[in-house]
Amino acid sequence: MAWDLIFWVLCFFINIALLASSFYQLLSLSDLEADHLNPFEATTRINSIVLPDFLLQAFLCLSFLLTWHWFMFLFTLPITAYHLMLYLNRKHLLDVTEIFRDLNTEKKYRFVKLAVYLLLFTVVLFRLVISASTLYTMKSMFIHIDFWGSTVGGICKLVIRIF
Amino acid sequence: MGTENPGRPNFPMRPSFTPFASAPPTVRPFSPHGPATGPESSNFRPSPPARFSDPSVPSPPITSVPPSGVPYQRFPTPPFPSAAQAPPNRAPPVGQPPFQPPASQVSVPPPSFRPQTQALPVPMGSPPQNANFPPSSMNAPQPPTDSSLSGIRPNFQQPFPGYPSKQPAGSYGPPPSVAANLGYQSRDQMQHPGSAPPIGGVQRLTEDFSSLAVASIPGTNDPALDNRSLPRPLDGDVVPSSFLEMYPMNCDPRYLRLTTNAIPNSQSLVSRWHLPLGAVVCPLAEAPEGEEVPAINFSSTGIIRCRRCRTYVNPYVTFTDAGRKWRCNICSFLNDVPGEYFANLDATGRRIDLDQRPELIKGSVEFVAPTEYMVRPPMPPLYFFLIDVSISAVRSGMIESSLTQPQMMVVSDLDDIFVPLPDDLLVNLSESKNVVETFLDSLPSMFQDNVNVESAFGPALKAAFMVMSQLGGKLLIFQNSLPSLGVGRLKLRGDDLRVYGTDKEHILRLPEDPFYKQMAADLTKYQIGVNIYAFSDKYTDIASLGTLAKYTGGQVYYYPSFQSGIHGEKLSHELARDLTRETAWEAVMRIRCGKGIRFTSYHGNFMLRSTDLLALPAVDCDKAYAMQLSLEETLLTTQTVYFQVALLYTASCGERRIRVHTAAAPVVTDLGEMYRQADTGAIVSLFSRLAIEKTLTSKLEDARNSLQLRIVKALREYRNLYSVQHRLGARMIYPESLKFLCLYGLALFKSVPLKGGYADVQLDERCAAGFTMMALPVKKLLKLLYPSLIRIDEYLLKPSAQADGFKNIMKRLPLVAESLDSRGLYIYDDGFRFVIWFGRMVSPDIAKNLLGPDFAAELSRLDIIVGIQHIQDLLQMLAMINVALTEHDNEMSRRLMKILKKLRESDPSYYQLPYLVRQGEQPREGLLLLVNLIEDQMGGTTGYADWITQIQRQVQQN
Repeated sequence: MAWDLIFWVLCFFINIALLASSFYQLLSLSDLEADHLNPFEATTRINSIVLPDFLLQAFLCLSFLLTWHWFMFLFTLPITAYHLMLYLNRKHLLDVTEIFRDLNTEKKYRFVKLAVYLLLFTVVLFRLVISASTLYTMKSMFIHIDFWGSTVGGICKLVIRIF
Repeated sequence: MGTENPGRPNFPMRPSFTPFASAPPTVRPFSPHGPATGPESSNFRPSPPARFSDPSVPSPPITSVPPSGVPYQRFPTPPFPSAAQAPPNRAPPVGQPPFQPPASQVSVPPPSFRPQTQALPVPMGSPPQNANFPPSSMNAPQPPTDSSLSGIRPNFQQPFPGYPSKQPAGSYGPPPSVAANLGYQSRDQMQHPGSAPPIGGVQRLTEDFSSLAVASIPGTNDPALDNRSLPRPLDGDVVPSSFLEMYPMNCDPRYLRLTTNAIPNSQSLVSRWHLPLGAVVCPLAEAPEGEEVPAINFSSTGIIRCRRCRTYVNPYVTFTDAGRKWRCNICSFLNDVPGEYFANLDATGRRIDLDQRPELIKGSVEFVAPTEYMVRPPMPPLYFFLIDVSISAVRSGMIESSLTQPQMMVVSDLDDIFVPLPDDLLVNLSESKNVVETFLDSLPSMFQDNVNVESAFGPALKAAFMVMSQLGGKLLIFQNSLPSLGVGRLKLRGDDLRVYGTDKEHILRLPEDPFYKQMAADLTKYQIGVNIYAFSDKYTDIASLGTLAKYTGGQVYYYPSFQSGIHGEKLSHELARDLTRETAWEAVMRIRCGKGIRFTSYHGNFMLRSTDLLALPAVDCDKAYAMQLSLEETLLTTQTVYFQVALLYTASCGERRIRVHTAAAPVVTDLGEMYRQADTGAIVSLFSRLAIEKTLTSKLEDARNSLQLRIVKALREYRNLYSVQHRLGARMIYPESLKFLCLYGLALFKSVPLKGGYADVQLDERCAAGFTMMALPVKKLLKLLYPSLIRIDEYLLKPSAQADGFKNIMKRLPLVAESLDSRGLYIYDDGFRFVIWFGRMVSPDIAKNLLGPDFAAELSRLDIIVGIQHIQDLLQMLAMINVALTEHDNEMSRRLMKILKKLRESDPSYYQLPYLVRQGEQPREGLLLLVNLIEDQMGGTTGYADWITQIQRQVQQN
């Protein structure tokens, strides 16, 4: 069970990194819009973290798949697919020359991403707490409780008894 | 008053205008009308009540607003219409006749415009007619109305008497007092009273829009559209002058043109104006002798600007508080007048030193900028030549011919690792002219034996960039082959026919390698402007190369299949023009406008530095920029909107300057007014840029369709304004101001960047034309779209004594094949080349005199070309078979040369090379001239008459 906890802690930090990156990109874009930043600098800043962002996100998604966390995997899948599409179309980097024309769409896209990451963040946090408390309970009570297993098993027994 | 001609005159004077304005609105009622159509009586009633109740109470027109505009129109109508045509037309219902006429006269506004409409009714109706009306309004519904109606009829004439009385009351007196810059609204209110002598109203009404009988004349099914009656811009680009008269302090339209000189006051108006709303700016346009922009040096006071919005002082600011404060016309902020700038005000509130202050009386001025406006000290103008010396370039003779202008220069075909030192490579022209010339002389021989077919364009560009990055300047790139080595290497593309017509088609028109965009951005950052001279007969990927010019404020010159013998002259003139025209360095441009509106998108060759700041490393008089604006607020409350274009630049003399153009435009509440004040030139310019941009993201066909759709929507909206009052039938109606819109739309369809599909234009040519058209000033663009065709044989044959009548022969002919008479000699001039067309039966004298004795041989030699399958090969062949037109020693030839010279002088930005074509000499004639007769039907394209019919059909399908 310790592995479970370590996994969620890892996810937690990755998620925070993703959140930070999205936030930073958004910030740069709004700075650009407000003329606090020139387009050359803004695009350099953003473009430098786009790929790490994609890789991190893909890694997260993949690790969910490999650990058989289906729900989490499906949750992160759309973004991964979208990233992949952008990358394959070579549209993942901001275009300095046309950045003001694309500014609104780029901002919207990053807002959505930020929102999804926030949602993900709450879920991960929740799972993290559960796995931490499970571990703690296990250790303190020396009882191995497979919460899900027992519940499902209980229900099955109940159903069988009824019929 | 404006009785005779509604369209144009309206603007100039306030008073006259008013009536005018009113007239058009009448048309509008239409929309409301539609729904109401059922029983006449029903229509009738509602309107009066609504309007009435409101107006009656408050004097201000505004009140009436809440009710729909509809009621209004009818109301007033009765008097007028009857007089006019209305009654007769609408035989059936009694009620109707009254309707229409009033509407027209009242001018009313469609429902949306509240202010105007309301205003109208009040003045008109209330005083004289009150008696009748009140009952109706009170009763509200039908009974009253009926009575009113019946009453009206008999009274027919009654209304008239009413009018005159009103007029005095009102309208005229007040309006004049208002300053020119006041907005429409104020005017509107005033206008009502005056809304015009009845007769005038009627006439105006009839002339309020222009119409074309399309298709069916009742009884006949013949869709014949009289070809001769179609509107054609044979006078070239006509700038609406009435507007300038109204705001005499505005900058000249050559610098700034709005797509409509009446700014809508609400979002809903904007959404019904389907044409682009914006401006076309050409900040450095060449001014004719004597109209140069005055330069002002505020050395002691610093440049006077609004503290809040940074607007520059201009003729529309107002001085108050005995001259100690001034109010910014754009943001209304009250600024202090610096001590040194102070001047007393006279009794009328004008500064007494006005005549010594050009910035307060002229719309265009130039301020000398102090050091705060410099990021670094002004740099000397730097021209850098990057020349392709691969074998194809040597063979074509490009190198020899192109370098006739001695310039500072460096040739670098180095590998990218090597960074030359700027000091070593850049030379001062005057000091080392000899060295440069020697070098230029030796250049051809140096590479004489070059058999290298590769071009290391990318590395060379990088090297040039490194050399130039210290100083900025202008980089002239002479490229003759596809970049094939190092970074930025490009592939041959565009040969795959299967891509055309698919969603991937547009990718061919975009730069292939992101290197070019990145490079363009870097070049802009270091204030380097790029001009591309492309010469190849093969694919050079102009789409990629041109990107460099596009984002650095440059332009693309394209000489397909360059041969120095033929094109050398053109190149040397255009290169000379490029090097010698007034150029502004390290420029940035911003356009400010009043509160409530905002410029949202910019179109042209530049890069945006921030949301509204155009970075232009090198800009000159041949570049124009277009922008679109949108309303930020749902309703504009101001009466006038001001625009100010400011271009901060370094002049070639090393002085930092700010060129400021200021213009004002009225805010209107009436859609009809917007259409009336439309500027076709600016609209077409914006349309072409939008369409070309669209070809970069979608198929050509989509770009054309969306263009057509917008034209149709605009005309439909306009038609709807009028279709109720008038039985339009199948007639096509359009505002006088937009009479050429359809034709220019058609011309755009057939322009090089947009026309046809794969086979019609070579990809490179299409892209080059696209880049060129994105930068063209309005006038030049219109000429390119609708070139002039002039018959000159009569002039050439005239006895020399009468040769002075040069103007007379400049009569432009419609671009149809019928214009060409086989006995004539014609010049076709689109601003980029001449085509000289010899009729089959042209007098042998002319041919002999112009072409020399062996003319027959020369002309007939052209017949050889046959059996060429592919259009591209053909084009190449054509370029080569260009009969040289040299001056011969006789009067006729001299005169022809004089004509050509005159035509060239009228616009020196490009040099037109003459191509000779003989009638019936296919396919040369077809490719050079017939395709360009845009009004004709050619291989699958639509002719003008068909096009009008097609548009009309779509307009009528609701």
